[in-house]
Amino acid sequence: MTVQPVSFDLLDGLIQWLVVFAGFVATFTVVALATSIPLYGVSGPKRVISGAMRGLTDFVSISPRRVYAIAMLAFKESIRRKALLVFVVFAGLFMFAGWFMEGDAARPELHLTNLVAFVFLAMTWIVLPVVVLLSCWGLPEDIRLRSLHTVVTKPVRRNEIVLGRMLGFSAVGTLIIVLMAAVGYGWILRHVPKDVAMFCRVPVYGSISFLDRNGNPQEQGINVGDIVMTRSFIEGGSKATAIWHFPISHEVDELKIESRFEAFRTWKGNMDRSLRVRFTLVNDEKDLRVPLPAYEVNEFRYNEVLISRHQEITDEQTLKKSEVDLFKDLLVPFDPQNEVHRKLQGDASAGVLTVHAQCLDRGQYIGLSPGDCFLRLTDRSFAVGYIKATVGLWLECLLLVVIAVTASCFVKFPVAFILTSSIGVVGSFAYGFLLEIVSGKQKGGGAAESVYRLITHMNETTPLPENLFTKSIVAFDKPLVEGLGIVRYVIPDLSHYGTSEWLAKGFDVPWNGVLLPAMAVTFAYFLPCLLLGYFSLRLRELEAK
Amino acid sequence: MTTFNSRQRKTTSVVGILILLIPIVLLGMPASGRDSGGGGMLAKLRSEHDLGESDLGQIDPTSATMSFVLLGMRGIAVNMLRMDLDDYKDHKEWARMRATTEAVITLQPHYIEVWRFLAWNLAFNVSAEWDAVPDRYYWVKEGGKFSQRGTQRNATIPELTWETGRVWGQKIGMADEWRYFREYFKNDPDTKTFPNGVDPEINPNQIDNYLVAKEWFQKSNDREDNREQHIMMRALFRSQPMRTQLSYADALQRDVRFITADRFRQESSSDEEAEAKAYAARQANFALSRQEWAEGFTEWTTKFGQEEFQTPGGLIRMEADEDVVHELAERQKDQGATEADLRQWIDHYQKTTNYNYWRTRARAEADESTGTSEAHRLIYEGELKLRSGNPEEARQMLVRGMANFARLLEEYPDLRDEDLTVEEAVWGVLLWSKTLELLGESMPATFPLKATWDKYQGLLPELQERYNRGR
Repeated sequence: MTVQPVSFDLLDGLIQWLVVFAGFVATFTVVALATSIPLYGVSGPKRVISGAMRGLTDFVSISPRRVYAIAMLAFKESIRRKALLVFVVFAGLFMFAGWFMEGDAARPELHLTNLVAFVFLAMTWIVLPVVVLLSCWGLPEDIRLRSLHTVVTKPVRRNEIVLGRMLGFSAVGTLIIVLMAAVGYGWILRHVPKDVAMFCRVPVYGSISFLDRNGNPQEQGINVGDIVMTRSFIEGGSKATAIWHFPISHEVDELKIESRFEAFRTWKGNMDRSLRVRFTLVNDEKDLRVPLPAYEVNEFRYNEVLISRHQEITDEQTLKKSEVDLFKDLLVPFDPQNEVHRKLQGDASAGVLTVHAQCLDRGQYIGLSPGDCFLRLTDRSFAVGYIKATVGLWLECLLLVVIAVTASCFVKFPVAFILTSSIGVVGSFAYGFLLEIVSGKQKGGGAAESVYRLITHMNETTPLPENLFTKSIVAFDKPLVEGLGIVRYVIPDLSHYGTSEWLAKGFDVPWNGVLLPAMAVTFAYFLPCLLLGYFSLRLRELEAK
Repeated sequence: MTTFNSRQRKTTSVVGILILLIPIVLLGMPASGRDSGGGGMLAKLRSEHDLGESDLGQIDPTSATMSFVLLGMRGIAVNMLRMDLDDYKDHKEWARMRATTEAVITLQPHYIEVWRFLAWNLAFNVSAEWDAVPDRYYWVKEGGKFSQRGTQRNATIPELTWETGRVWGQKIGMADEWRYFREYFKNDPDTKTFPNGVDPEINPNQIDNYLVAKEWFQKSNDREDNREQHIMMRALFRSQPMRTQLSYADALQRDVRFITADRFRQESSSDEEAEAKAYAARQANFALSRQEWAEGFTEWTTKFGQEEFQTPGGLIRMEADEDVVHELAERQKDQGATEADLRQWIDHYQKTTNYNYWRTRARAEADESTGTSEAHRLIYEGELKLRSGNPEEARQMLVRGMANFARLLEEYPDLRDEDLTVEEAVWGVLLWSKTLELLGESMPATFPLKATWDKYQGLLPELQERYNRGR
């Protein structure tokens, strides 16, 4: 991977969620109170409070047995509606996928990447639309057929209906995902070339900083002209250095550093070999530097450097040789006051290791990103990574079921489907774009300005001409963008759920940076959606078709 | 609101469907496969204009299935895939990019520009992103193989065979890494996948890249006989097989610089033996080069030179003396062709294709009477002797080489101011002057190539720097 996962602070996330949830409840209450007065006069607020109390009672005395019954009903309904026919599509895809995925004998490792990506893409595009369709369809269809009357006249609470539906459709999604994942796993095993090792790297990432060619600290290296600057570059044969700090949890006999750097030549140089990189282990406090043997950049592949615990160094002045202990001499204790140390993810109870990387070829450059270099722990099996990646998809499925069932509580099927799909699509593919629009970083303005630029063939970086019309366009866009700023809090960032990316590239799915936030987002949406669904269903006129 | 009841509405719909079916059947009925002219109007038109799937090239069931499954959404799907492809390229996700390239071409198997662009993208753009030369070569091969597949799927298109020839000829033979690429073409660096030393998909006969490229360019010409190409002036397009033969002869000369004793060290019992083998190999290479120049001259003048091209002034030929111009004018006098017009157009075409330069160069290089090939060899071997500390032997070789070169310039005055020839002549004299310095002698008042040496003194600083660099 070229990007390391961003650490997720669960406590911080929980506090933020509580604040937002409290705000949501408060806004909901204020709106309810404000609308109750014109509707019911002075007795309105009283009705709202009694309604809220009833809701509280409903949630306190929720019956698992009834929830289970509703969930089973939703599950059986889904099966009756031939949800499992998706397996026909799935089988068709997998029967013919081999045609499109010819393995390349010269690059078999790339083939595994494609196989994994295909399996998860197929599962995502088959499971999610089906589950969303079922979830959006359930309640509105019950209302239309009036079968919900039979249910609500029984001693079943509305929150039990909503929760039961959520659980039932989640169970359908779970069943489909488990079966498909099992078939997909077998399919990968069948198609992967025999000489490709299947495993999941377990990386420990560090924090990165740079020195420029004169040795001055910099936040980034140089852009050598890449459109997307995934890596920044350091100049060879100069003081330019990339510095990593790695947290070390315990002492071992040997450390493995794995790196994946990019080479960039400003002149042809020696074509018989690739550019060379040298790692140096550094302890600034003791003024100790241990250079490791230089190696050639095996570009876009991983290079392994093994560091044994005991390193021999030669004093440049006296030429005397001595031995240093990696853990006793080179590690510095974790310092919570140190800004660099504070950025580290992972357990640093044994200390922090500083590694300098330099390019040795004068005038040439190597490109690095924070995730390009890591300490590699003992690998996990491919199956473990596969299960974790599947859990990521499953969590996304649960989240969409929760949103879809909630939407179906207050709107009809088509609207609920469009609403849920839009949230899913924006959350998956356009969340970054949304943030850029809201933050004003996106060039080209809002919707009206974009239309104006399209019609007039105006580049998005060209300033708008100063006139009344363009001013009115900008004025029109402003509240829309601000509205979008509020809406964005409702839309989940589904990028956390892209767990298969890690597996496809041979990595274990990280718990802290990927799975935990995915779980947190799913559960964060669950309670507000349940509340919203419950109150919507209570207020909804069930006679309406 | 309609006043029809349910049955009437259904009947009306059925009748409407039946009426609409008539033009659909007339237009779209497929051919039976037994008679090529059968089927509906569209099938007949396809057959008439060779637009049927089987007329275009090999049928790929995957592609046909996908196009069918996507119905009218193929364009949208391709657009999305192309955006993904660019995104993967920008993020250097090569596996994904390669897979997406396949997906795009599966959906657009008969879009020539798509094949051309994607092949070029792999061979030229992606290969340049990699640092190790074997990696770069891998991606050049990917581009070339991709283009080859395009020629199978589109069996009548001359542009794709030309594009394939360009990858195997120009990209392999003229890239910065040409020295490695040419060697890899015959001995693939991926010995694990290709234990026999060569990638059979691109070079089953283990021959030179230029000869493979020549075959592809010849295929392009064969296709172009039946179908017009749209990438360049026709004369330039038609010249490629013969031009590639000349590039091959030229490359053999260039290769000599990399035939060193190191190559024979393992199979030799002593350094002297390795040196002798290298010397013999260089000699053989120069001799082969001369033969190929001779072959090139014949092809250039008797094949390309005799081909007729339609110009606004009338049909012309590159190899045209006054008699030919007269004959052409006589033959086309009914169309209003004049000798003056034809001369003008012949001159224009000769300049565009650099016809006369290559004609003279090939002839000169192949000419045994002037000993041009021997001149190249002697100057190069003289340089090696000088650098290995044998100024006396070097002087003898260089003097002989300079004499041959002088004969060449005497015989072929057109080459007296030609850049490469002049540079090599001045280089030879410079090396000779160095041997004199080492032997403690001064330059005599007259020597072969003196006129060229005096005229092109401006080249000396650059050549002196080259000498100091040791190559």
